[in-house]
Amino acid sequence: MAIALIGLVAFPLFGPPVYFISFVFWVFLYVCLSSSWNLIGGYAGYLSFGHVAFFGIGAYATAMIGKIFGLSITMTLLATIPAGVISSFIAIIVGYPCLRLRGPYFAVITLCFSFVSQLTVKNLEFLGGADGLWLKSMDVPVLVNRTIFYELMLFLTVLTVWVSYLVGRSRFGAGLRAIKEDEEVAQTMAINAPRLKIMAFALSAFFPGIAGGIYACYLSYIHPDVVFDVNMSILQVLMALFGGASSWVGPVVGAVSLTLVNEGLSTFVKAELARIIYGLLFIIVIVFMPNGILEFFSRKRRKIER
Amino acid sequence: MTAILSGHDIEKSFGGLKALSKFNFEVMPGEIVGLIGPNGSGKTTLFNVISGLVRPDSGKIAFEGSEITRKPPHAISSLGIARTFQIVRPLRDLDLIDNVAIAVVYGRNEIFDMREARGKALETLEFSGLAHKAYSYPGELAIEDLKRLEVARALASNPRVLLLDEVFAGLNPKEISGAIELVFRIRETYGLSIVMIEHVMKAIMTACSRVIALHHGVKLADAQPREVANHPEVIRAYLGVEYAGN
Repeated sequence: MAIALIGLVAFPLFGPPVYFISFVFWVFLYVCLSSSWNLIGGYAGYLSFGHVAFFGIGAYATAMIGKIFGLSITMTLLATIPAGVISSFIAIIVGYPCLRLRGPYFAVITLCFSFVSQLTVKNLEFLGGADGLWLKSMDVPVLVNRTIFYELMLFLTVLTVWVSYLVGRSRFGAGLRAIKEDEEVAQTMAINAPRLKIMAFALSAFFPGIAGGIYACYLSYIHPDVVFDVNMSILQVLMALFGGASSWVGPVVGAVSLTLVNEGLSTFVKAELARIIYGLLFIIVIVFMPNGILEFFSRKRRKIER
Repeated sequence: MTAILSGHDIEKSFGGLKALSKFNFEVMPGEIVGLIGPNGSGKTTLFNVISGLVRPDSGKIAFEGSEITRKPPHAISSLGIARTFQIVRPLRDLDLIDNVAIAVVYGRNEIFDMREARGKALETLEFSGLAHKAYSYPGELAIEDLKRLEVARALASNPRVLLLDEVFAGLNPKEISGAIELVFRIRETYGLSIVMIEHVMKAIMTACSRVIALHHGVKLADAQPREVANHPEVIRAYLGVEYAGN
């Protein structure tokens, strides 16, 4: 594990093409997003389909903090932390009423929440409206620039996965699992379900908030259509489900494998065909491995061992 | 001696149906109380009201002297009232040890670490006769064991009062004897009070020191098991008017 981590940290030093660094940056971003989604969606079973909202809120919060205080780009990067806090705070406000809904109702209301956030930003003049917002860019060579963001995103992703791992083993995570299985029974087991759900939702909004901020600095230009893109919401859900939403490993495996498959297909196969194969892959996994590929293979192994 | 759990004038209606009407009860520390009555007489509603899953229209419930009537279910259960469900509700994607360990870690055990909780859970499973299936999943268990799991999960939270909702239903005579023995062992080992809803008369007669009979949400009798079984009102409620005369 440690060796793999050192390898990832050192990767840009071996002088890979800029393209590779950017690609791995995207892999990290999706690992981070689907791992943090998994805290509420996987552990607690509340399928948030609007999680991109927190990514977008983080991006805009970071950009606005930078703009209002006239911060340099380095200082703006630090503003991603308060942006994460803002994102969590909004999650608490939104979660309080929404987390009373279950199943498809929760999925729909969170999806609506992301659309509402996008429309709100689009229509607010001081947030740049439909023109988007410019951030200061870093005055360094492209390779250095990409490397810095690569390392930042790596750090955030490792932190997210680590937190997801800790939550999974903790009393908190056990409570979330019980809620996922049967909320009423969980409550008769002395689990304060409303509070646990809010906490999980706020935590799962924190990391996307920071990620959104880093992404805003990385692009140095944000637009509501980009940082509130519904495809991103759906992708992070699918990645977690693809890998297996019941453990911290699932979203990591799902995000890495799907980003690789997607990239591989679009590079080596024609784009249209790539979409079809990608879609088919999803259908196969959802139909035949409803608990994700990890659980599918681990159950198979258990059967053989018996 | 004062009651550990008591209810005063509890009323609950579902639409036009009165599930509980002016219902009063008391449970003394260490007592095993039976709750009987025909289907739909309000027994499970009473459990739901006590455990906070259903709010009563009026009336008061007190636990250890303080009122718990409008508290949410998790608050009530963390005070020390645990229950089982008539239709078993295990956490299906978790193995037995985790099912019980979650109850341990959220119960009144001063254990907050999952590892430690699993150790304690194993003890409770052993007590309930499920130790050899600790790493099985609920889907692999027969009904007798699932009922035992319900009991183990309720016990694991270290309650003061245990509400057992038809733990004996659907069991064969041999399994019933085993379950009765478990109920006695629970009281001896944990020293807690038990309220049990039951249709199996053998279980009621041997296990309970007192029986409350309900019919259409109204209390018909509250006395020794033998007395209640021969109570004309109770017989009428179960068998009809013609059997009640003699």
